Amino acid sequence: MSAALDDSDRQESIRMIRDSAAAVAPVGGDTKRIRALRQTLPGFDAAVWQQMGELGWIGLRVPEAAGGAGLGVAELGALAEELGAALAPEPLVAAGISAALLAAAGAQPELTALLAGTSLVLTAWQEKADTLEVPGTADGQRVFIPAAAGADAFLLPVREGAKLALYWQPAAGAALRTEYTYDGGHYGTLQPAPARKLADDVGAVLEQALDDAALVTCFTLLGGAERAFAMTLDYLKTRMQFGRIIGTFQALQHRAADLKMQLALLRASVEAAAATVDAGASGDARRAAISRAKVRAAEASMLITRQCVQLSGGIGYTDQYDVGLYLRKAMVLSNQFGSANLHRRRFVATAPETEE
Amino acid sequence: MDAIRIPAPAELDGLDDEHFRQVVRAFLAQNYPEDLRNPPKRLHWHENKPWYFKLAAAGWLCPGWPKEHGGLGLSPSKLIILTEEYERYGVARTNDHGIVMLGPLVIKYGTEAQKQQFLPKILTGEHIWCQGYSEPNAGSDLAALRTEAVLDGDHYVVNGQKIWTTLAMDANWIFLLVRTDKNAKKQEGISFLLVDMNTPGITVRPIINLEYHDEFCETFFDNVRVPKENLVGTLNKGWDMAKALLSFERIFLGSPRQSGYALSRLKLLAERMGVFEDATFQESYARLRLELEDLKALYETFVAKLKRGESLGPDVSMLKVIQTELFQRITDTMLEIAGENAGLLEPMEGNRNLNATGQFIQARPATIYGGSNEIQRNILSKNVLGMPG
Ligand SMILES: Cc1cc2nc3c(=O)[nH]c(=O)nc-3n(C[C@H](O)[C@H](O)[C@H](O)COP(=O)(O)OP(=O)(O)OC[C@H]3O[C@@H](n4cnc5c(N)ncnc54)[C@H](O)[C@@H]3O)c2cc1C
Repeated sequence: MSAALDDSDRQESIRMIRDSAAAVAPVGGDTKRIRALRQTLPGFDAAVWQQMGELGWIGLRVPEAAGGAGLGVAELGALAEELGAALAPEPLVAAGISAALLAAAGAQPELTALLAGTSLVLTAWQEKADTLEVPGTADGQRVFIPAAAGADAFLLPVREGAKLALYWQPAAGAALRTEYTYDGGHYGTLQPAPARKLADDVGAVLEQALDDAALVTCFTLLGGAERAFAMTLDYLKTRMQFGRIIGTFQALQHRAADLKMQLALLRASVEAAAATVDAGASGDARRAAISRAKVRAAEASMLITRQCVQLSGGIGYTDQYDVGLYLRKAMVLSNQFGSANLHRRRFVATAPETEE
Repeated sequence: MDAIRIPAPAELDGLDDEHFRQVVRAFLAQNYPEDLRNPPKRLHWHENKPWYFKLAAAGWLCPGWPKEHGGLGLSPSKLIILTEEYERYGVARTNDHGIVMLGPLVIKYGTEAQKQQFLPKILTGEHIWCQGYSEPNAGSDLAALRTEAVLDGDHYVVNGQKIWTTLAMDANWIFLLVRTDKNAKKQEGISFLLVDMNTPGITVRPIINLEYHDEFCETFFDNVRVPKENLVGTLNKGWDMAKALLSFERIFLGSPRQSGYALSRLKLLAERMGVFEDATFQESYARLRLELEDLKALYETFVAKLKRGESLGPDVSMLKVIQTELFQRITDTMLEIAGENAGLLEPMEGNRNLNATGQFIQARPATIYGGSNEIQRNILSKNVLGMPG
């Protein structure tokens, strides 16, 4: 297959994914569903989750042999972008980590149920804030598990000698505490109680899955920033003060132009990282590309959503106005899978400076 | 060590600064309700009135007012010390529109009868004020306001709508800008009216903000009858007074209160997150500290002007911009170092001193209210720098 044909096929599949996303989670549709789910448990809709399974979204990157769609991160990214714009609370990114681990472990029944959207399996890997490291202590509390109250089971990485084994822990009976997040979702804190071993060593798979999750999160942030900016631009073009449309004030025109430039850099950075990953980059080259995207995504999405609130004036500070939903989402997502500070340090450590 | 004696209010301004600081600390330790320290959200009247009444009883409620009107008459440097100590202790903001805005306005422009009627009631906590300026279509363009007051015998009859009225549900009085001449140029038909919120025809509807808090409101007026003598200053000359009042508001919003508080909490957060000693954090922390110290110096020069009885010029807009943007940078930094805690709804670990998200959200509207920072920059460029256009 020629590279060009390959590319146009991919563009077509990405377009189809965007279309199907719009059917499930319409961008610019009303936010009633999203608002009603805020500060409830599990905070997402089981029927929509199952629908996402039926559409093949949960296993988008899982190899076809294991029941997935075998697509690349660019495809999953496009989907995440749409879901980010629509503020969908379903835990697609978190489930992606579990899907990769279950596929690697050959845990087929568990994987099949997860991909079908009939169960939710979440990976309880994190033991402190702002990290990508997985200590895998046997009894150390696992923190910041998104959508944890909706899980049917958890995957527990546990350090055994030089290896990182993978255990299964059913959610029933688990010691789980939840706390709400600013977007209306929640994090869980889990006391690990490994029940059944699934694999002896998933260290490398998990490291890569966390990086992929970081990158897909960048796309979610991109989708949200795009949408908040589009809404704000509309507002600048209609709101009147001083007998004029406020978008005629040059100070605001320049601000909007600055935000547009950040959006362009954000898109370029995350799409470049996706292309790097899909081209098969590994090791430090892969890490550096993802870190670069995550730094930009965290900073640009916060800047853009903050400014969108500012440019909307008083109404921007109300709960009822949708622009604020994107700021809240960015607060929650921008530090997930590593903050900008963490990724800046990792970029420097992994990206060799090119010789002039 | 001897317990520190709290001197009479009239003596406070005469103390040397260090002694004054010790007095404030002792006063807070003796009087401030423990459960109100570092409130995660702006308190409602029913929550903070115990503190308000303590301040009132001690005569400490209005530190900036002149002594002859019941204030402490504090010097600029003492006002800063007071602010610093309040921040350090995590003292809640009160329902302070009467203290910060209406009181100074009445002192400056009110009749003797208005001074007698209103100032004592602010000082006792009997009157709690809110500010009714903004309307749905008159925000930055405040002079476009349409709420009107029509004279009918001894009363003005008020009709219209105000919006973003902070803590209107807690207030029993509101100061309004109303249109009293529809035919004049828009700035010249506006008057300043004081309205008892228990008058029939007033409806207050809370609006939930980004903090999930009912802090501001919509306020509706339907044939509300207001005694004629509640007009302050000259009929149709309310705009000039409102502008003067805005400079009281700007100096208040430019006070280092918010940034100082936020910076001290940034330090606690950085320590908790284990990044305080990091070179990159130290660098940005140093920048923020330096910015705060210079803001305090600038603030002092404006307060000193007021004390000398000079009126403030349009350059006070600088203070508001510098302070609110510093407040935002500090709280942005909080989120940057908080990891996943940057997404939590409640203060992390239940510790109100580690309320990064609350501080971050509260910093957002600071660049919108009190005249947005865009508008302040317009004022600076036109009225201070004399730019054409
Ligand atoms: C938390 C909060 C509390 C408040 N409390 C009160 C209160 O107690 N009482 C009260 O009366 N009001 C209150 N306000 C209202 C506040 O004063 C207005 O929100 C503010 O004046 C902006 O008006 P607006 O919301 O209509 O925004 P708009 O005026 O519509 O502004 C929208 C955007 O356009 C920008 N803009 C507008 N004109 C220009 C221009 N000429 N050049 C460049 N940029 C421009 C603004 O800066 C803003 O970014 C409060 C607001 C908030 C957010």
